[in-house]
Amino acid sequence: MSKGPAKTIADITKGFAKHQYICSEQISTAVYLANELEKPILIEGPPGVGKTELANTAALYYKKALLRLQCYEGLDETKALYEWRYGKQLLYTQILKEQMQEVLEGAKGLKESLDRLMEFEDIFFSEQFLESRPLLKSLTSSEGTVLLIDEVDKADEEFEALLLEILSEFQVSIPELGVKKAVVKPLVILTSNNSREIGDALKRRCLHLYIPFPDAKLEREIIQARVPEISKSLQIQLVDFVQGLRELDLKKLPAISETIDWAKTLILLNADELSQELAKSTLNVLLKHQQDIDVVQKEVPRLVMASDG
Amino acid sequence: MERVLTDFVKTLRNVNIRVSPAETLDATEVIEKVGYDNRELLKNTLSLTLSKTPDEKEKFDTCFDDFFREKLSSDEIPLKEVPDLPTDQTANSDLAQHLLSDSYSDMELSISKAGEEAEIREIKYFTQRAVFSRRILDIMGVGKLEEELSLLGQANKDGLPSDLEQKLRNELTHLRERVSDYVQQQFLMHGDVTGEQLREQVFKSMNMGQIDRSYLHEVHSLVRRMAKKLANMHSRRKKNFRRGKLDIRKTIQDNWVNQGILFNLRWSYKKVDRPKILVICDVSGSVGAYARFMLMFLFSLTEVVSKIRAFVFSSHLGEVTDEFKGGNLEDSIESALSKYGGGSTDYAHAFSDFVSLCIDEIDKKTTVVILGDARNNFGPEKAELLKSVYERSKQVYWLNPEGKYRWNTGDSVMNTYSAYCTKVFECGTLEQLERVISTLLKTAI
Repeated sequence: MSKGPAKTIADITKGFAKHQYICSEQISTAVYLANELEKPILIEGPPGVGKTELANTAALYYKKALLRLQCYEGLDETKALYEWRYGKQLLYTQILKEQMQEVLEGAKGLKESLDRLMEFEDIFFSEQFLESRPLLKSLTSSEGTVLLIDEVDKADEEFEALLLEILSEFQVSIPELGVKKAVVKPLVILTSNNSREIGDALKRRCLHLYIPFPDAKLEREIIQARVPEISKSLQIQLVDFVQGLRELDLKKLPAISETIDWAKTLILLNADELSQELAKSTLNVLLKHQQDIDVVQKEVPRLVMASDG
Repeated sequence: MERVLTDFVKTLRNVNIRVSPAETLDATEVIEKVGYDNRELLKNTLSLTLSKTPDEKEKFDTCFDDFFREKLSSDEIPLKEVPDLPTDQTANSDLAQHLLSDSYSDMELSISKAGEEAEIREIKYFTQRAVFSRRILDIMGVGKLEEELSLLGQANKDGLPSDLEQKLRNELTHLRERVSDYVQQQFLMHGDVTGEQLREQVFKSMNMGQIDRSYLHEVHSLVRRMAKKLANMHSRRKKNFRRGKLDIRKTIQDNWVNQGILFNLRWSYKKVDRPKILVICDVSGSVGAYARFMLMFLFSLTEVVSKIRAFVFSSHLGEVTDEFKGGNLEDSIESALSKYGGGSTDYAHAFSDFVSLCIDEIDKKTTVVILGDARNNFGPEKAELLKSVYERSKQVYWLNPEGKYRWNTGDSVMNTYSAYCTKVFECGTLEQLERVISTLLKTAI
C-alpha cells in the first residue's frame, strides 16, 4: 500500500462512517494493523459498545463475506471446524458392498483379493464427505472473508486451544486429510465479554483492542450517524443524560446500543426535548434491571437538570 | 531504534505488564509499518500489540507518556553555542562552561549521555541511587569543576565569592538536583522490577506470622496469582463420564469396523470430579495470621474446588463458608477473625462442635484440612473425635505453622493428633503453603 499508515487509517475511519459506524482512532488503527499484519483482533469491552458491529462493518467495508461463529459452552470442533457427513458415508459403504462383487470377481485366493482391494480408490475420508463449518469455510473461501468469533469467553478453555493453530498459521489439521492452509487469509475478529479470563496463549496471538464506553463527543457522533432524524438539542441532552447515568452505581450500565434505542424511542414519541416525565417513562429502554430503574428514578431530576445546563 | 523499543518493553515489564518476546517481535513489525514520527499513532499501535487487558492498557498509557516524553526531548534538541561571559574571570573546565551556557535541554542531553556511560540501566535497588548520581556527576566532570571552584575561592581577596563563583555554585546545586531526579526516574524504569520480584520472593519465604498487615493487599494479589497457577495445573483433571449426550461422530467412527453397526457407544460429556474439602482453621491469637493466608489461598482456588467449606474456631467452632463465597475476601476474613478469633484454644470443644455439625457429610471423597498449632492449653485432647473424622474421610491433613522443632513442646499435643492424620506438614511460609496445597489438590482430586 503506497499511502502512509496515517492516511489509510483516516480512510478506514471515513469508510466505516459511511456504513454508520463511528470509530475512535484506536479502533481504526486496530483494523488497519489487523489487515496489514494479518493478525486477528481480540476485542474486549462491556456489552453493547459495538464489538460485533465492528466485524459487520469491516465486512461491508472490505466487501467480504462475514462468517460468524457464535461461541457457547460445549462448542466443539464438529460445530466450529468440520464434520463428516455420516449419512452419506454410510450410504457410500452400501454402494461399496455392491461394487465389491465386481471388483473381486475372478480373484483367486485371499492375496489377490486384497491386492485388488488396495488398488480400489477409497474416498471414505475425502473432501466429498467433509462438511465445512465456519472456521474451515473461512479458510477455504477464495474471495477472503471476515471471520467473527463471537463471545469467545463463553466457549470452553479447550476450544481456545483449537483456535490457536487457525489464528497464528491460518491453517487447520484434519487428521484424515492433512493440513489445510488458507487460500486467502481471512480478517479474524474475536470478541469477549470478559465472563472469564482469556488464556495468554490466545491473547499473545492477537491484537488486543479494548472498546470502553464512548465519551460524550463520540457518542453524539454515533447518535447522529445512527439516528439522523434526531434534533440537535435533544441529541445533546440525551447523550449528557446517558453519560451522567454511567457515573452512577448500576448493575448494568447503559451502552451505546441502549442509547440508540432510546433515541429511536424518543423520536417515535415525537419528543423535541427531554423532560423529566419523558425520561422517567422511557427509562426501561435504557435500563434492564428493576433495581437500576428504582435507583435512577430518584436521580432523574438532577440528571435532566444537568443535561439542560 | 530497536534499543528504544526493548527499553520500553523493559519499562512495561517493570509495571507488571506481561510482554512476551513474541509480542515484542510483533511490536517491531508494527513499528516498521507506522514509524516513530506520529506519536498518537505509535501509542495506539503499541497499545494494541503490547497491553492485553483493560488494566494493562491504563498502565500502558502512563508508561508510554513517561517514557517517550523523556526520550523524544533528548533526541530533538540541537546543540547550542556557548555564549561569551561578560565577566573578567572565565570558566575553564568544560562543565563550568556548559553550566554557564544555561541551556536546559542541552544539559538534559548530557545528563542522559553520562547516564548511559554510567550504565544506569543496571540500577537495581533504591540504595544504589546515590552511587549512580555520584558516578554520573563524575563522568560529567564535577571533579574538575569543584577544583576550579576552590581555586576561585582562594583567588578572592575580600573573602566574598565573585559573581562567577556564586553563579557556578548555584548551577552546580541545580545540576545535582537534576541528576538525582534523573537517577530516580531511571530507577523507576529499570530498577523496580527486580525490586518487586525481590519483595515477592521475600514474602514467599517469610514466616506468614511476621508479614506486616500493611502489606496484606500486596500479599493478597501474590496469593491470588499463586492460586491461579495451581488452579491451572489441576483444573484439567477431568474424566470421562458414562452418562449424558451420545457423541454420534465418535460412535460412528469407532464402529466403522463393525460394518456401521453401532456397537460401542461413545459419550460426549465429561465430568469434572470435584472434591469436597473441609477446612478447619484455628484462629486463636497464635495462629490467626496463618489462618488468614490459608483462607485467602483456598478461596482463591474456587475454580478447581467448588465444594469447599470453611470452619474457624478458637474455643467454639463456626462455619464461615457463606461469608467467603460472597464478596470481598479481605473483609470477610477480617469479620471471621473478629467474630471467632482471639480466645484461648480448645481443640476438644472445637472437634466436638465440628463432629456434631457435619460428621454426616464426610464421606470417602472428603478431604479435611486442619490448620493449627495443636497447643491445647493443657486441656483434654479428645483425640477420639478426630479419629472418627479420620475414619470416615478420604484423608486428613494437618498443617502446623510452627517449626518442627517446637512440636510437642509445652502444651503442644501434635503427637497425639498426628496419629489420626494422613499427613502432617510444617507450613509457616507462603512457599510451604503453596507446596502443601499442591499436594492436597493432587491427592484430593
